[in-house]
Amino acid sequence: MHPTRLISKLLIALALLIAVAPGAFAQDVESLVSALPEGDYSDREKVIFDLAATGDERVAGLLNALGEGDLYVREEDGRVIVGKRSGRNYTLTDALTGEELGTAPSSALEKIRVNNRLRRAVRSAIGQLTLMSPSPSVRLRAARSLLRNADPDSLELLDTALAAETDPQVKTMMETARAGIIVKTDAGIEEKVAAIDLLAARGDREALAMLTGARSSAAPELQPVIERGIAGIERELAMWDGLQNVWYGLSLGSVLLLAAIGLAITFGVMGVINMAHGEIVMLGAYTTFAVQQVIRTSFPGLFDYSLAIALPLAFLVTALVGIAIERGIIRWLYGRPLETLLATWGLSLILQQTVRTIFGPNNREVGNPSWMSGAFDLAGLSITWNRLWIIVFALVVFAVLLAVLNRTPLGLQMRAVTQNRRMASSMGIRTPWVDAMTFGLGSGIAGMAGVALSQIDNVSPNLGQSYIIDSFMVVVFGGVGNLWGTLVGALTLGVANKFLEPYAGAVLAKIFILVFIILFIQRRPRGLFALKGRAVDA
Amino acid sequence: MITKTLLRAFDGKAIWVVAILIAIAVAVPASNLYLPVGHPLRVPNHFVPLLGKYLTYAMLALALDLVWGYCGILSLGHGAFFAFGGYAMGMYLMRQIGDRGVYANPVLPDFMVFLNYQELPWFWYGFDMFWFAAIMVVLVPGVLAFVFGWFAFRSRVTGVYLSIITQAMTYALLLAFFRNDMGFGGNNGLTDFKDILGAPLQAGSTRAALFAASAIALALSFIVCSAIVRSKLGKVLVAVRDAESRTRFLGYRVDNYKLFAFTASAVIAGIAGALYVPQVGIINPGEFAPANSIEIVIWTAVGGRGTLIGPIVGAVLVNAGKSWFTGVFPEFWLFALGGLFVAVTLFLPKGIVGALAQGWTALKAQRVSAQAEDGSDAAPEPSPAE
Amino acid sequence: MDQNHPPLLYLDGVSVSFDGFKAINNLSLIVQHGELQAIIGPNGAGKTTMMDIITGKTRPDEGEVFFAGDVDLTRLDEAAIAELGIGRKFQKPTVFESHTVWDNLELALKKPRDVFSAWFYHPSKEDVGRLEDILATIRLTERREERAANLSHGQKQWLEIGMLLAQDPKLLLVDEPVAGMTDAETVETAKLLREIAKSRSVVVIEHDMSFIRDLAARVTVLAEGSVLAQGSLDHVSADPRVIESYLGR
Repeated sequence: MHPTRLISKLLIALALLIAVAPGAFAQDVESLVSALPEGDYSDREKVIFDLAATGDERVAGLLNALGEGDLYVREEDGRVIVGKRSGRNYTLTDALTGEELGTAPSSALEKIRVNNRLRRAVRSAIGQLTLMSPSPSVRLRAARSLLRNADPDSLELLDTALAAETDPQVKTMMETARAGIIVKTDAGIEEKVAAIDLLAARGDREALAMLTGARSSAAPELQPVIERGIAGIERELAMWDGLQNVWYGLSLGSVLLLAAIGLAITFGVMGVINMAHGEIVMLGAYTTFAVQQVIRTSFPGLFDYSLAIALPLAFLVTALVGIAIERGIIRWLYGRPLETLLATWGLSLILQQTVRTIFGPNNREVGNPSWMSGAFDLAGLSITWNRLWIIVFALVVFAVLLAVLNRTPLGLQMRAVTQNRRMASSMGIRTPWVDAMTFGLGSGIAGMAGVALSQIDNVSPNLGQSYIIDSFMVVVFGGVGNLWGTLVGALTLGVANKFLEPYAGAVLAKIFILVFIILFIQRRPRGLFALKGRAVDA
Repeated sequence: MITKTLLRAFDGKAIWVVAILIAIAVAVPASNLYLPVGHPLRVPNHFVPLLGKYLTYAMLALALDLVWGYCGILSLGHGAFFAFGGYAMGMYLMRQIGDRGVYANPVLPDFMVFLNYQELPWFWYGFDMFWFAAIMVVLVPGVLAFVFGWFAFRSRVTGVYLSIITQAMTYALLLAFFRNDMGFGGNNGLTDFKDILGAPLQAGSTRAALFAASAIALALSFIVCSAIVRSKLGKVLVAVRDAESRTRFLGYRVDNYKLFAFTASAVIAGIAGALYVPQVGIINPGEFAPANSIEIVIWTAVGGRGTLIGPIVGAVLVNAGKSWFTGVFPEFWLFALGGLFVAVTLFLPKGIVGALAQGWTALKAQRVSAQAEDGSDAAPEPSPAE
Repeated sequence: MDQNHPPLLYLDGVSVSFDGFKAINNLSLIVQHGELQAIIGPNGAGKTTMMDIITGKTRPDEGEVFFAGDVDLTRLDEAAIAELGIGRKFQKPTVFESHTVWDNLELALKKPRDVFSAWFYHPSKEDVGRLEDILATIRLTERREERAANLSHGQKQWLEIGMLLAQDPKLLLVDEPVAGMTDAETVETAKLLREIAKSRSVVVIEHDMSFIRDLAARVTVLAEGSVLAQGSLDHVSADPRVIESYLGR
């Protein structure tokens, strides 16, 4: 290593060690900044390192601006400022303090030029600054950026930082970054083997890229170690990919479940083909939109509760619509399933057009409350909150529905009417009332599904149409009249779809699933969980 | 025996239908071509392909009626057979463009040049010949229906389940044809046709000829359907519709009968599609949309299923209504169509022709109308929540 | 089984269950050529399920069902079994309601059952004569052009028997033929069935004891899916197990 560099690095390390009291260097920072425009590129590089060595927090912002090419010298007073172009002029702020200095034309400014070498110097200088920051999250970010650059020059700095590091997460990241650097340097074989093992243990794509990069230049005796590391990472990545697919599949499956579960009641339990089911889901989504509109204009503070308000409201609205449909149309068509299919299809057209007339044909913006936005990492998986909540919601709805069917008087009456209408009626069950309530329940659940779907899909008058065929597929695949079949059917189809997608693409995957279901129904016309017996084909 | 069966097709009112269709096949083109512009009896130019389109729709509704009205199979995927016939014709018309396309490639259609195809896909071979395309118009929908029906009817998928999987079939095809790499022009479909059998498509005489061809094809389909429904075969189909398992216990292989009706119906639908495409000048995957197939059902229901005249009347009436509505109140068409679905199923289950026939017999026999309704209702016994 | 003179229908050790409920339990039954046999039994004894098994609607879980010696009925479907010569009349009369009486009979008439034969079928003089004979037998000559839906319940029962005759089967399975009939009609029906049984085998399921007495047939009593007793009506109605199974419920 070049002696002057070594000295400068030592100086930096020293500076970092005494950075506890940055105020002592305040004067120094200012003079260093004003020295920045002078001299040639190599002088400037030295100043950059000196600046970094001050450990002053303000320097990071300044260096950043320098790297971006936003740092200028004002010609009239030689002051170093940050200039952002706005129209013809530049908006100026002080490079260190951020004080606003008005605007100036470009003729009044002179850019502090950087070349690629300087940019690299700026990056590592920022890394050095941040690596020793008091905030663990800043340090973590810095370590991660070092991992990406893997600049061998940062090794000593990293060692210094590592020695002082106490946070275990940051420490792991730094160690990995160090390993990444080690494989690039001319360190001893054993040290390199250890580094490779460390990277292999990390098992992500970055580590894979590093090892692949190192393979070409590595010594022959290291090749098998690297190969083994790469193979190990690839295995692990494949596993995580699989798990991620399962997750996506469960997520899609839960959406299908939500869309189909109301149908499992109306079609599965009552035997009514409701082609307007998708439009009822759509009405639920529009209820959410309407609730959010009211909240946005009148009670902005309640936005995070908008879904909690929309859920019961959507249930109510769609259940009432459902009851109206049952009383108005479907009850005249019992025992004529094909006619029911046609009438409800007509109804779906009317509902679509009504919504289009009221809300317009375009997508409506339904916002995610804060607790449904964003994502988090779970081990190697990236999990978005909205998907997670929708899975939870789908399962809760399923469980509640199961309980309603099996544990409540209404559920008992529903099952009684389904199995033997005449007998139920002669035992004093008001079968028309039960029919209406059952249909209302199925529709209400579809409406709640609409609330959930508004969080992940476009809310437009066509929302329902995109779900209706899928929903029927799920119910038919799972076995009509069997809620568990609907659950298993939805999740199976969801996961199968997501596993096919990487090989076949989204559209072909969907086509395959449709063809599969068509063939499956040929084999088992009554679905996965079929009821058996004489009564069934009577 | 065959001639006897065919002769039976002209029994009763059927001969009048055929006569009227042939008269239309002659009168409309003649009035358009030979009467001077402005003459009150002249059919305007733009009306000829529009009426021709209605006739192909009538054929499609007739095809659906054969399986739905007579055999009780509600297919929600008949648009797919129509579209296949249309695509087969479209491929022929595409290849007829030759080097007159935008890219002037003598072999490859424009969209293939645009999508960087180096050579013609194998399934486009032969479509430069009309006879080959004509065979495909019949064969492709026929084979698809046969294979689909073979599996579905053998495993006794019936009623609503069958309707749902036919819908899934056309939906899967819709998705497939939207893909550019299917080699059928993706979502733009096939269009910019120039001529058919050497005659320019824009010429009045070509349009008149296509109209006449549509009317005659409709008349022929009507004769075939009439020959089917008036034979014992037709009676077996109705028997299957009304009491499938009873028919089976009489020793009839119900699956074969359904398969025959389904395949014959698909072939008629395919021919209708082939006549439709040159008259509207485009075929795209939208024809596979499940909504289109359900619309065919409503034409048939409005006119009256289980009669052969009904679907023809229904298709023409509903589509004429659609043309008028979309011209005058475009935003109300879906309300009207939706309302039609609801109203027909609730109040006019036998359709216009069925209701008229019922009224006529009631009047003629001077019987109480209630008794007639009681007797002619083909719907199965109510068995809610199967 | 006597290989030289096999019975027309032979059931041995047949069992079938639905969701754990044994509808038929180790049932064995023989129907001879030209025999008229009555089957009685309380509700749920498995009478209709037995017919479902013979006609191919239901597949038995175990056991053998042979027709005319060596035809394994468990391997055939409904249409094939019907073509073999087994005709069935259902408990609930099922005729083709939107067809005329005549068309109902014409559909049942023994003729090639394939699609194209049906398409190009024209009734010959013989066919017409045969159908007219049957019409006369079932006393519906007057109503031949009437839709079957407009017939009375008893007439529908007779039409269905007429369809069986047109089918010309070797074995008739008749499920409750006199349900809903007047006394006079019941007597006539018994006469008709006895007449039919002269040329073929007939199995009748019935609850009406006086009707069975009229038939003068061998009686088989089913209970809980298997044969409880066999013999003349007087013989079985004296059997204490039969009395218990009818009354003990």
